[in-house]
Amino acid sequence: MLYLLISCVSFSFIFLSKSFTHKPLPSWEAEMKLLSPWFWGELSTFLVSWFKKSRPAISFFQVPVFFIPLKNMGHSSKVENVEEKDDVSLLDLPDLALDCILERLSPAGLCSMAAVCSSLRDRCSSDHLWKKHKEHKWDRVICDAAYREWKMRVVSRKRPILLDQSKRKGLFNSLFGDWPSSWFRPKLESSGKSRRSLPVDSIKAWYQSLESGKLWFPSQVYNRENGNVGFMLSCYDAELSYDSKTDTFQARYLPHGRRTTEDNIQWERLRAPPVETPPNVLHVSDCLDDLKPGDHIEIQWRKAREFPYGWWYGIIGHLEACDRNNIHCHCHYSGEKIILDSLVVIKVFFFFFFFFFVFVLQRLYVY
Amino acid sequence: AIQSSRFSCVGFPLAYIFLACKKKSMALKLKSSDNKIFEVEELVAVQSETIKSLVEDGCANNVIPLPNVDSKTLELVLDWCKNHVDVKLDEEKLKEYEDKFIEVDLAVLYDLLMAANYLNIKDLLNRASQKVADMLKGKKPEQIRETFNIVNDFSPEEEEEIRKENLWAFEE
Repeated sequence: MLYLLISCVSFSFIFLSKSFTHKPLPSWEAEMKLLSPWFWGELSTFLVSWFKKSRPAISFFQVPVFFIPLKNMGHSSKVENVEEKDDVSLLDLPDLALDCILERLSPAGLCSMAAVCSSLRDRCSSDHLWKKHKEHKWDRVICDAAYREWKMRVVSRKRPILLDQSKRKGLFNSLFGDWPSSWFRPKLESSGKSRRSLPVDSIKAWYQSLESGKLWFPSQVYNRENGNVGFMLSCYDAELSYDSKTDTFQARYLPHGRRTTEDNIQWERLRAPPVETPPNVLHVSDCLDDLKPGDHIEIQWRKAREFPYGWWYGIIGHLEACDRNNIHCHCHYSGEKIILDSLVVIKVFFFFFFFFFVFVLQRLYVY
Repeated sequence: AIQSSRFSCVGFPLAYIFLACKKKSMALKLKSSDNKIFEVEELVAVQSETIKSLVEDGCANNVIPLPNVDSKTLELVLDWCKNHVDVKLDEEKLKEYEDKFIEVDLAVLYDLLMAANYLNIKDLLNRASQKVADMLKGKKPEQIRETFNIVNDFSPEEEEEIRKENLWAFEE
């Protein structure tokens, strides 16, 4: 910049001197002209060294020099802005706006976005985007306990591998000492890469393994033997897998002690287990004393000791002696056992089979 | 009677001045990044949470500079705000207006998103985001890259890995 200033000055000087050429040159000017290349060279080096020595002077002299480029810079940046505007990228949007867009995408949309570039891949895998989809599609058929169990399982499945690696490394170190381990770097790099891919226990991973049908999850299926009148009000525990092509489920369960499967189960026949009691454990209810006519209940029931329990739906009815008038009804004070109303099916069952039955249940689960 | 007429003589101009002042305080001046001044009613402007907090803090007496919004975008944004002042507006008409408003090209949509984000206008941000989400709908990754100007930074192996990972979603 300094040279620019100096050359400008020298240029103007030469220009001035040229304008005088038609006149005979005065002797001092001729000398000057001869001197000029050497003189200006010397002067400029002197000025440079002088400027370098005295910093305040630089700032003083630089101000006017600076002014011109600043204007130019402003102008050029404006031009650039106009150019950039045309190819502004989605990734230039502020975080909040980008999140606002991603929140509105379907699971398939999020997957497409994840395949666009690495920064979008990270963004589109975040739990807060998938939580809504998980809740919307899966939470009514899978209980939270199943999700937690899956999470623990995948994390613990991952852990032995890590432990194994560290063990191997330990063995390696004990054998070969603390060598600069450049020749097993590829392995380290590949582990770094896997860290970049989807975390195993993310909600997206859960959603993905459900959609792909790879994951068998515990749930309950209404209406065992689909369509058999005797089982209309039943519900059994099973392991299920989803088939995204047909939008139905396959169930594995143990109805008669041996493993059976059922295909083409529709969404309507599934529910998340309302209590966390496993199918072969008796559920202990704490509200039996509060039961009164009209309450909705479910009863646990099994054919034989080695079989799992199933659930049967019912409504509490009045005693034989009661006039069924809600004001005068004392059924719930009678101390007698509960009578099931409306459940011919269940009554038939009680007649024909004398099984292990258990009642218990939870009220207010509307079928 | 004399007293009351004297009161009205003083009262009227006072009330007039008061009303005038009040009316004046209801208008806000906004300055866009390219130094254009927009005079808008407070009711319109305070739909922006950013401006609202400025007004509440008493910082809105002079011109409010909005260095992140250019005049073209600000004009659009203020038009949106004007049409959203009246909450009792016919819902169908409002939807019609919004649909028409958001039919803009991508560059303008980006400007609107940035302005809505900066000015913190939730319904505009939501509507503009929805528009972009609709544009993304059903597009393949390559199409998204092309339309939204994003560079593919995956290696071929990574791309294959992602394709496998998301196979279930692309099958449909």
